Amino acid sequence: MMQVRQLFGRQVLADAISVTPDWQPKLLQRPSMMLTGQLVICQRCGQSTPKQTVRLPQGNYYCPHCFQLGRVTSNQNLWSLPEPNRFTKLTDSPLSWQGELTSAQNACSQEISAVFATGKTHLLWAVTGAGKTEMLFHGIEQALMKGLRVAIASPRVDVCLELAPRFQAAFTSIPQIVLYGEMNRPYAYKQLTICTTHQLLRFYHAFDVLVIDEVDAFPFAADPGLNYAAQQAKKESGALLYLTATPSKELSRLERQKRLSVSYLPARYHGHPLPEIKFKLTSHWRQSLMKHRLPVPVKKGLSQMISKHRKFLCFVPHIKDLAALASVLHTAFPELKTTTVYAGDPQRHEKVQRMRDGELDCLITTTILERGVTFSNIDVMVLGADDGVFSTAALVQIAGRAGRKSAYPDGLVAFFADRQTKIIQEARRQIRFVNQKARREGLIGVTHD
Amino acid sequence: MALPMTECLLCHRENLQQITLWQLLNFQPVEPSLLCQTCLDRLEPIPLDQACRGCGRHCSTQLCPDCTRWETLTNFKNRAMFQYNELLRQFMSQYKFYGDYRLRQVFQGKIKREVKQIKADLVIPIPINPITYQQRGFNQVAGFLEGVKTTAALATIEHDKQLPQSAKNRQQRLQMKQPFKLNLSTEKFNKKRILLVDDIYTTGRTIRHAATLLLDAGASEVVGLTLAHG
Ligand SMILES: [Zn+2]
Ligand SMILES: [Zn+2]
Ligand SMILES: [Zn+2]
Repeated sequence: MMQVRQLFGRQVLADAISVTPDWQPKLLQRPSMMLTGQLVICQRCGQSTPKQTVRLPQGNYYCPHCFQLGRVTSNQNLWSLPEPNRFTKLTDSPLSWQGELTSAQNACSQEISAVFATGKTHLLWAVTGAGKTEMLFHGIEQALMKGLRVAIASPRVDVCLELAPRFQAAFTSIPQIVLYGEMNRPYAYKQLTICTTHQLLRFYHAFDVLVIDEVDAFPFAADPGLNYAAQQAKKESGALLYLTATPSKELSRLERQKRLSVSYLPARYHGHPLPEIKFKLTSHWRQSLMKHRLPVPVKKGLSQMISKHRKFLCFVPHIKDLAALASVLHTAFPELKTTTVYAGDPQRHEKVQRMRDGELDCLITTTILERGVTFSNIDVMVLGADDGVFSTAALVQIAGRAGRKSAYPDGLVAFFADRQTKIIQEARRQIRFVNQKARREGLIGVTHD
Repeated sequence: MALPMTECLLCHRENLQQITLWQLLNFQPVEPSLLCQTCLDRLEPIPLDQACRGCGRHCSTQLCPDCTRWETLTNFKNRAMFQYNELLRQFMSQYKFYGDYRLRQVFQGKIKREVKQIKADLVIPIPINPITYQQRGFNQVAGFLEGVKTTAALATIEHDKQLPQSAKNRQQRLQMKQPFKLNLSTEKFNKKRILLVDDIYTTGRTIRHAATLLLDAGASEVVGLTLAHG
């Protein structure tokens, strides 16, 4: 027998399910896959697949897109119980956060509260370092007081793990659960859920308020299935808020067509403009590294940073570029303390910490450090910015690593590439655009510390 | 020249496949690969002349220390195609435990070629127990052998409270009772050269139990073929 609390707003894959007799008639049962002539369409992740590629020997079909959550097979059903909102309505505010919002943040915060209260879909476009999380607090406070179920989801585990303690600290009395792929703790029914967007596939009409952070991040932008998941995971009447620093074309298109309302926050909370991207052409930089030479513009840029004793992040497109650059840097600047890091690096967290602690002058990295990770006073360079691994969103995020803290609002952002690409131009344009917008709105120069 | 873009089934990176001029000029059939070159490069094939004659592991001597130490089964030897490394672990996890049946096709061509070279009278896949079959929806070894004529000569026996293979330690696995029985009458196997196929050779107990059964039934020789050793 299944605990009913495990089924509230969840969808569980099974042939059949039994709960206590009083709940049994309320069970919702949906076939897990829809079959058309040529395709099978998974009802959990929304993706369709040509039938003949996923036919099992006994004639059933399975979904190849979401099997990490337990394989959906066409002979199974998805079971759930309607979300009953078994949470206490509060008269006292559960918000223990004491900070203050700037007036621009406050305006966005009020728009967000209205979106949550009315169950609309909305996009908050806030630049890197704008203080997005704090702008959510008041809206979430009101939702929690009304006994609503709230979720914050991000495509990245790193972001979830960073958000969870901040929400726990802001709402100490509200039970919270964090859900992601590799965790060991079991699921529990809680008023506040923080999870990866992938985990949303396990919910069905659960949330009154659903916030999706970093919607431009891989894999959300690339994976329409996760978009479907967001729609499934929230109640039909529920509010959906997208947070982004670089809206994808699709989100921008919805806005132009007036199908999505948008709040803008083009300035950082400290009132300084975003460091703009300086671009320098190189000529066959990778071959130069192979010949153990630094491309001239790179060497010039680095000499400047080093003479000013700046700490910096060096982004390269691929893991194989890490060692090449590290070795050339070591020869050119023997005094410089550097190391390399990549996604699968077992010492990833220690190396990032050493950089934070000021033990290193330079961290050479692949795109993994493009977001989430904050260093207080840093310059940024990208070598091979024209490589296909860097999307406009990624480049804007990388540039956004510089100048985050009010004590050090400036930082150099230098991109090097063998050619200028549309993607690079678009990243530069977006940053100039938000700075202009912020200036027009009088948000630059109004410092808040 | 490139085929239309697909995605590598294991790492999900874009899988651009180059057709060589040689293949084009000679009208050689192109086997489109389901894995990208990066993943394929991580495979560690075990060359026939650098393999233990008993268990098939990568080894510089003719018999590896394990095969020298444990009493070996006469008339049985195993051939393992690859080292069971991180990539194959990931492959088997996605194929067997997550049940991504598409992956059966990745090694079908290579396995078919090995089977052909071994020239056996009967090709017998190691069976899995019916409960697992029901859950998974397929036998992973039979999946590898799609398009090869096989004989379902073996069935599993349910011993009480059998732990899953992965939960057992080496000692427990070695002491395991005979897990198979014959599906067909013994004369089917009499004086036959038989090829047994399994996914991974770990301690060798599973495939050796099956081999013992077949040799006892009168088979002249049993050869094992496993995708991996490790
Ligand atoms: Zn699916
Ligand atoms: Zn791959
Ligand atoms: Zn051996």
